[in-house]
Amino acid sequence: MTARKHQLAMVMDLNKCLGCHTCTVACKTLWSNGEGMDYMWFNTVNTMPGRGTPRDWEAMGGGFDARGNARPGRLPRRQEYGEAWKFNHDELYHGGNGDSRHLEIKGGTPEWGPNWDEDEGAGKFPNSYHFYLPRICNHCTHAACQAACPRQAIEKRESDGIVTVNEDRCRGYRFCQSACPYKKIYFNHQKKVAQKCIFCFPRIDEGVAPACARQCPGRLRFVGYRDDQNAPIYKLVDKWKVALPLHPEYGTEPNVFYVPPIGPASYGADGDIDESRPRVPDEYLVSLFGPKVLDALATVKAERERKRITGKSELMDLLIAYEWKSMFGGLDRDPSTVSVIQWTKKR
Amino acid sequence: MKAQYIRGASLDVLLDPDAAAWRSVKSATLPLSGTPSALQPTAAVRTEFPEGSIGAIKQVSVAIAHNGGELAFRLEWSDASAESGAGGQDDVGFPDAAAILLPVRPGAPLMTMGAPGQPVNAWYWRADENGTGRQVTAQGLGTTETIDRESVKCRGIHRQSEWAVVIARHLRVKGNQQVAQIDVGTGTAFSIAIWEGGHRERAGIKSFALGALEGWHPLTLNRSS
Ligand code: SF4
Ligand code: SF4
Repeated sequence: MTARKHQLAMVMDLNKCLGCHTCTVACKTLWSNGEGMDYMWFNTVNTMPGRGTPRDWEAMGGGFDARGNARPGRLPRRQEYGEAWKFNHDELYHGGNGDSRHLEIKGGTPEWGPNWDEDEGAGKFPNSYHFYLPRICNHCTHAACQAACPRQAIEKRESDGIVTVNEDRCRGYRFCQSACPYKKIYFNHQKKVAQKCIFCFPRIDEGVAPACARQCPGRLRFVGYRDDQNAPIYKLVDKWKVALPLHPEYGTEPNVFYVPPIGPASYGADGDIDESRPRVPDEYLVSLFGPKVLDALATVKAERERKRITGKSELMDLLIAYEWKSMFGGLDRDPSTVSVIQWTKKR
Repeated sequence: MKAQYIRGASLDVLLDPDAAAWRSVKSATLPLSGTPSALQPTAAVRTEFPEGSIGAIKQVSVAIAHNGGELAFRLEWSDASAESGAGGQDDVGFPDAAAILLPVRPGAPLMTMGAPGQPVNAWYWRADENGTGRQVTAQGLGTTETIDRESVKCRGIHRQSEWAVVIARHLRVKGNQQVAQIDVGTGTAFSIAIWEGGHRERAGIKSFALGALEGWHPLTLNRSS
């Protein structure tokens, strides 16, 4: 850790994600419904294995190599995100057309969208598999977006490490977008500035957890300061070591961590369940979360077993999240008790 | 170079790259150099644009005129495609752009876009904002700041693989220490920068006109025709 006082972080338990997109919609409604933001989804949930959002983002470069040098990256194209589709709602609801019309996308037939390959996954029946991967900006400790900006328009808050764009300084050069290996910083083509997830800092400042976390019906998003030893983040990341960053090899030191999905066992050729062969291949998880994922999986499995047998496991009790509010590291104030939460100049 | 005095030419006339008035003004072809990669402020920028890859536009033809109140630069350079970049339709493109750079006071360093206490002033045109110029000031690399979008006027026309762009401003603007105030008779110095949008040129990634006066081209203005 740097000299920064604290670092906010999030842990998402991929064993619990339903792929319901409540998080995405909570975020969209709150932050990215303004001018030029149609195509932006600060929060995305993609089916894995899959091509992700923007399409094939893992092949777009950016971040740092093992020696800390900037890796070349490229800008995602609008078609790779998928344009925001427009529907014929007017014709349907106000046109007096009765049943003669059905819901249609206006304009050309789209060829891609943010969840185009939803629920496809991989593997052959009966051993097909998939899981959901929600993603936000990782509010990286070594933020590639910030390092790339020639104008120092990207700031990392001293108090909590939230990474924001200062839109007054941004001149739309877009080096941040090529440099972010997670492709989680967007360009507003109308306002000609970069925009991104703000970890709901106006809520944080009022003691309220980010909307994606608070509204998640799956109770899989933990929030809090990395160094708060009594809170779930520290316990999951540092104590139990079951939560890992996505693509640690990108070199940005993300502050969003994932508990890897265990998934069911495979069926053998005889149709019996073969406990020795996991449905989600280990190699695939290693390709996402690095080699440490194997230890994390083993720990979660062992603790599941302990919980089953003894009824007691600190780790499983944490992951089950019996007490919803205990997931937010003290940032559990009810947003309805706060008068204004707004998008301020620094977003 | 000399800014030719054109008595009675209105700003509207000067802003028209095709105006007959420009035919009487002598133009000069200035070679352009790419900015050095090593001078770019971040590793990501240097990685994307290694030495030798910067500066797609190699020369510009320049004519300069004034009417006693306004100073206008007419630039012409070949560029097969007009990149208008943003403007809502943009995808991953950047707009073609050009700027006139002036020292606010003599001695402001050109290569570093000024220095603390030694500002430079840019009159900036970009294809997606054709018509509205930006009045920009800087006191070092990465410090450019748009002061206003009113005082710099410009008009660009792209045809037959060529841009013709006029960038103009009043010689003096009211009460601003950060921008160049020009007097007829005294003269100043200038440089020109051109960004080729098709080569993803933006920010410090550009070609510029390197002159004999510590990088600047001297500019004289008087009232004789
Ligand atoms: S995920 Fe990307 S946008 Fe977010 S802090 Fe890291 S490098 Fe920047
Ligand atoms: S709201 Fe929670 S369960 Fe639903 S998609 Fe988002 S992270 Fe998954």
